[in-house]
Amino acid sequence: MMSRPVPADSSQPDSPPKSHGRLVTRQHLRDTVWGYGLILPSLLVFLIFFYGPALFLAYIAFFHWSIFASQSTFVGLKNFTTLLHQPIFWQSLLNTAYYVVAVVPATTLLALALALLLREGMGRFGGGFSRALIFLPHVTPVVATSIIWVWIFNPQFGLANVVLHFFHVPPSNWLESVHWALPSVMIYTLWHSVGLYTILFLAGLASIPRSVLEAAATDGARGWRVFKRILWPLLGPITFFVIVLATINTMQTFSQVYTLTGGPHGGAGGPAFSTTTDSLLIYQTAFLYLHFSLASAMSLILFVLILGLTLIQKWFADRFVFYR
Amino acid sequence: MRASKLWSVVRLAVALLFIIPVYWILVLATGYHGAVYHLPPVWVPLFHWAPMVYVLTHTHWMRYVLNSVGITTATIVLVVATSALAGYALAEIPFKGQTAYFFLILGVMMLPQQALLVPQYVVLFHLHMLNTYAAMVVPFAASTSGIFLFRQFFKKIPVSFGEIARIEGVSTLTYIRRVAVPLAKPAVATTVLLTFIASWNQFQWPLIMTNSPQIQPIELALSHYMQAYEANWRELASAALIALSPILLVFGFTQRYIVQAVAGGDLNAKD
Repeated sequence: MMSRPVPADSSQPDSPPKSHGRLVTRQHLRDTVWGYGLILPSLLVFLIFFYGPALFLAYIAFFHWSIFASQSTFVGLKNFTTLLHQPIFWQSLLNTAYYVVAVVPATTLLALALALLLREGMGRFGGGFSRALIFLPHVTPVVATSIIWVWIFNPQFGLANVVLHFFHVPPSNWLESVHWALPSVMIYTLWHSVGLYTILFLAGLASIPRSVLEAAATDGARGWRVFKRILWPLLGPITFFVIVLATINTMQTFSQVYTLTGGPHGGAGGPAFSTTTDSLLIYQTAFLYLHFSLASAMSLILFVLILGLTLIQKWFADRFVFYR
Repeated sequence: MRASKLWSVVRLAVALLFIIPVYWILVLATGYHGAVYHLPPVWVPLFHWAPMVYVLTHTHWMRYVLNSVGITTATIVLVVATSALAGYALAEIPFKGQTAYFFLILGVMMLPQQALLVPQYVVLFHLHMLNTYAAMVVPFAASTSGIFLFRQFFKKIPVSFGEIARIEGVSTLTYIRRVAVPLAKPAVATTVLLTFIASWNQFQWPLIMTNSPQIQPIELALSHYMQAYEANWRELASAALIALSPILLVFGFTQRYIVQAVAGGDLNAKD
């Protein structure tokens, strides 16, 4: 190693930096160059592929714009008014709302129940193992596991109808039925993502001081009362966090809708547009029908909605630190 | 004592319910021909690997597997590099703009991915990156959670280490590579794992950004395969099993760290 002529005292943390004006300036310059140099690779990625597109979105939403035409014309709110006159746009909003309103409470309640079942002190063995199994679906690739769910939902020989038959419930056509296609996707999503929220609830439960629970136990509190009076109030912040995160995630569901409702059932989003959610409609509008301006207008609406939710969540998360 | 044992059984039973679908992929992929149509359903895998071998040898499946391996490996290497560099700058180097970059990263985390796809497509179009391997790697070459993770670990390294390195004349890059990163092994491991899962499971992005079969990753190939082989359940299940096994394998060995990372909020997961 080449040793550079750096005076030893400049590297002493105790020495007051102001007494070495020139050295400090050089060190300062060095820090600035290295600081920016080191963040540059990631900064470029974020600027080019995330911030750039976000700004560009606000631009193209107000223009008549095509990837093939070289010029674009300002059309103001025309893209949005066109959108409002499309029944499919309203249908997609309705489908998304139905999807979110059903999936979020179901996921939150199930995740809470599973977390209570899996928390420390509930059983003597298999805690970590059960936790891993419940979380496993969340890391599985969506298309690969959708294949098996398409089979499960098959009206003729699928497992879902076998289970219904076992409980003497009349069979359903699941993904092929206008009424049951979206609920089928909901069931898949519940299976795929509830593990994530369970883990978050478990982290919340783990942060509750043991002494509080022990005090409750000495006072003779059991079961439901412990939950109602101690666990539930203390879990409030994490519950809110889970609800917002689940809302943000479910509003953007794409892959399972595309995979479960496409394939043998014709184009994705069917039957009869009953599973056309916002993300799917944006995808189809832009990349199948090449209406980039309309898709951008839809994207901008979604962007504002989700960013609003995210800001609420951030504000809340900063206020209540609940895990680790 | 007995109640506690009962709860253990209950939760194990509930947990097993969750992996039934995954288990069934194995049952159908290795079962006899026509097992899918059997009523009541077949429960036991027969471990007939012939359909799986057929998928691997008689289709382009091997190519898709290699595509995914390549894309995932490149992404992991780049993410670890960019995260370590930026994490070091945020943790150790006082420079103007440090706080600004911190908030810029937080901002990236808050951008809704589904709303950005159209303009992202346009950006890739202008960069002539559509339908290339680079399109599936470069936009994911930096990770917000990776940077924060490395920053967190670098902050724990004693200040004296850096002082000594500076006196010895060790360059910053050498110091990061030889001293700081080896001391932040958990950050490396977590970043590698989370990037692996995200990259291997990529589907919507390649669906939009690529259209030639030669470069498609496994999940996208699987979705096309689903349409082509819609009635051939055994081949479909075999293909799904191939796409699934690396994830199952890695998760099996590292589930404790993955669950921990998620509980700590490192995974900004999307459905």
